Amino acid sequence: MLVTTALCCLLAACEEKNDNNSNKVTVNPPAGIPHKESAITNGVDKSPMDMAFYPDNYPILKMQHKDVEPLRARLIYSRPQRNGRVIFGSLVQYGKAWRLGANEATEIEFFTDVMIDGQKVPRGRYIMYCVPYPEKWIIKLNSDLNTWGLQIDSTKDLFSFEIPISKTNYPYEYFTMQFEAADPGMELSMMWDSVKAVLPIRY
Amino acid sequence: MKRLALLIFILSGYVLHAQNQYKPPVIDKSPMDISYYPANYPVLKVQNKVTEPLLARILYSRPQKNGRQVFGELVEYGQVWRLGANEATEIEVYKDCKVNGEKLKKGRYTLYAIPYPDKWTMIFNKETDIWGAFMYDSKKDVLRTDIPIETLEEAAEAFSMSFEKSDSTVNLIMAWDKVKAVLPFSF
Repeated sequence: MLVTTALCCLLAACEEKNDNNSNKVTVNPPAGIPHKESAITNGVDKSPMDMAFYPDNYPILKMQHKDVEPLRARLIYSRPQRNGRVIFGSLVQYGKAWRLGANEATEIEFFTDVMIDGQKVPRGRYIMYCVPYPEKWIIKLNSDLNTWGLQIDSTKDLFSFEIPISKTNYPYEYFTMQFEAADPGMELSMMWDSVKAVLPIRY
Repeated sequence: MKRLALLIFILSGYVLHAQNQYKPPVIDKSPMDISYYPANYPVLKVQNKVTEPLLARILYSRPQKNGRQVFGELVEYGQVWRLGANEATEIEVYKDCKVNGEKLKKGRYTLYAIPYPDKWTMIFNKETDIWGAFMYDSKKDVLRTDIPIETLEEAAEAFSMSFEKSDSTVNLIMAWDKVKAVLPFSF
């Protein structure tokens, strides 16, 4: 009897697991928060802004006295949602500048000089955008800070990096950017829909 | 008993497996936002409508009232508050200025408030990129100034911060629930 129960549980577990790997599961709002339009009120952005740090979660690490290395990078971007649309090649067109998010142009700040794609990038603040293609992304750093993302002045481009893309296991509902530790240095992962691009950064 | 152990073993394996799945950062309950002076500077810029340079920028998160009494309850009187949610609120001024009559050098600061029933004490602090007000260190204060508050007729659902120009100053307007506070800057 118990074996049967165990097997049933196992099967149920597998089914649930498969469910998690299916295309339906995406980045959900945290449990317990009703996800409905009325929860977003009074001019709160449809594509909310977020921040990413390297080390990941730096402000929290600092609060917990777990910051073993200094802040190296900080990213400010907005997170558009897929909403059932085809993103790359459709909403975000191939060969055209895309602001890597929504609203304002995405901003990246390095608190130390870094090396990206063999090029030395001095510490400082840049806007970062992307020209996506079916098989690669061109990532650009540009000096035109505090600008809206729809009209990027490419005459102010400072750096250009070409990175390959890969396919994710399941589609990302929200555009997501996140720093992770790598050996050496760090990686900036960028994911939306079924596309993932990774920018290696050394310091 | 052994079978029970097996069941627990299998189930715990599943739990561990679930924990190993990559979970990207969730969408914040209190989304981040950014305000500029001049207001909407990035939009003005792409529309070629900029008439004065960028003077200030605020990065903050926007908690919501959700039926709660905010000041004196959720946000306690007399306690340092991060003026928002999540990461502490950051203000950057792009030139030396005066805040409520007091000098402030250009640069980046964490902005806190201590709310009271009749005023807010605004605090500019040098320690940036931190979470909330949990590590607030008054030794890193560069400026403290008191401002009066006003009562709003209608409660504001989401906390907001925005800049507006008045005759002689640029005002940072902060509003949440039924409280509105105005911090004047002169550039």
